[in-house]
Amino acid sequence: MSNSDERFHIDIVDVGPVSASTDKTLLETIEAHNIDVHFHCREGFCGACRTKLLCGKVSYTTDPLAYIDDDEILPCCCIPTSALKIDIPR
Amino acid sequence: MKYTTFNQQSVNSLSEPMFFGNPVNVARYDQQKHSIFEKLIEKQISFFWRPEEVDVSRDRVDFQKLTDPEKHIFISNLKYQTLLDSVQGRSPNIAFLPIISLPELETWVETWSFFETIHSRSYTHILRNLFSDPSDIFDDIVVNDEIKRRASDISRYYDDLIFATQLWQTQGEGTHTVDGETHVINQRELKKKLYLCMNSVNALEAIRFYVSFACTFAFAERKLMEGNSKIIRLIARDENLHLTSTQHILNIWAKGKDDPEMAEIAEECKDQAREIFMCAVAQEKEWADYLFKDGSMIGLNKQILCEYVEYIANQRMAAIGLDTPFDVKSNPLPWMNNYLNSDNVQVAPQESEISSYLVGQIDSSVSEDDFADFEL
Repeated sequence: MSNSDERFHIDIVDVGPVSASTDKTLLETIEAHNIDVHFHCREGFCGACRTKLLCGKVSYTTDPLAYIDDDEILPCCCIPTSALKIDIPR
Repeated sequence: MKYTTFNQQSVNSLSEPMFFGNPVNVARYDQQKHSIFEKLIEKQISFFWRPEEVDVSRDRVDFQKLTDPEKHIFISNLKYQTLLDSVQGRSPNIAFLPIISLPELETWVETWSFFETIHSRSYTHILRNLFSDPSDIFDDIVVNDEIKRRASDISRYYDDLIFATQLWQTQGEGTHTVDGETHVINQRELKKKLYLCMNSVNALEAIRFYVSFACTFAFAERKLMEGNSKIIRLIARDENLHLTSTQHILNIWAKGKDDPEMAEIAEECKDQAREIFMCAVAQEKEWADYLFKDGSMIGLNKQILCEYVEYIANQRMAAIGLDTPFDVKSNPLPWMNNYLNSDNVQVAPQESEISSYLVGQIDSSVSEDDFADFEL
């Protein structure tokens, strides 16, 4: 599996760049940088954290059940597998 | 078209639409047209809980200590929750099952409704603990004007769809006169009624429930009525899943991934769908007015609750492709997330590692080392 030391560059629209490790979910990374983000269940079934993925790839830790469009991701249950560009709705 | 409980014709459920195709015959789940419903069933079943597992005995002491305005907030909120689950415990079954054409969706609706009945049972569990005779509370639900107004709006779209479906099943398409009223029944009209009904259910699961959750958790934030809050936390987790299912149905239609006619209707009735949401928002704000008529409570007042309604409405409307009409940027009740986070829902320790907790599990992994000390 992925090396836990591996880090990816995440570009968040209107916020700026952050660095993400692959041993945390994307939501945990975003929170660790004190960026305001919606969430409820943190398990992929409520969809509160739906985020636009503009560029890059993620892999899911659990099968996301909430409705997401083709260009959306659920940060609560995914980890980045490449550099990302995302737009967090606010 | 007449409903049959076991359709004798062979149908390929993989090519049926979600609604208004052939009635379902074999309840098979090895293949699904929309696999999401199978996944939702599994998730929902894994959430199974019983109200009696939660000890609410301390709540009785807490309740006596509440001020009169707080008692009014708590009890009115509980009445409203009882109403919502009374409707949801039966209506999806009666309205949707007769017109569903996919086995996985049929079972999802049954599972969904069944969990709403657990919720209804838990309100009795809570009230029985607070009052030696909870009859007054239950009786008031059908006479209280504030609650009745909500009830009629919630049940209206269901009743409309159910009646039209009954006419269609017994008399077929055409113009029918019942009790002096004329009803035009055709596929398109039925599908429109279904679309509006699904939007009304979605608004109920998306907004109405959350307003009531906010009131419950506001008490828990003050370490009051914690047994009740534990139960509502379990209910909130289930409702989250139900909301996901109605969002999926609406989006599957809108994206043309099911019945192409439903995609047209979704476009055609977009304004009406939006209006259903806006109406729910307005009603919930009125409800906040009623809740806080005698006074607020620490941590929650009318203004904050109204802001929360708008905040949650923005999110829920965006989730089904509508605009976000309200100007609320951040969550006015940030502590709500602690209660809606499924990690914080207490489960039996053996169940917290779900994958490893299987009834009658057999360890099927055998390594070569297992025979290391074995001699012939």
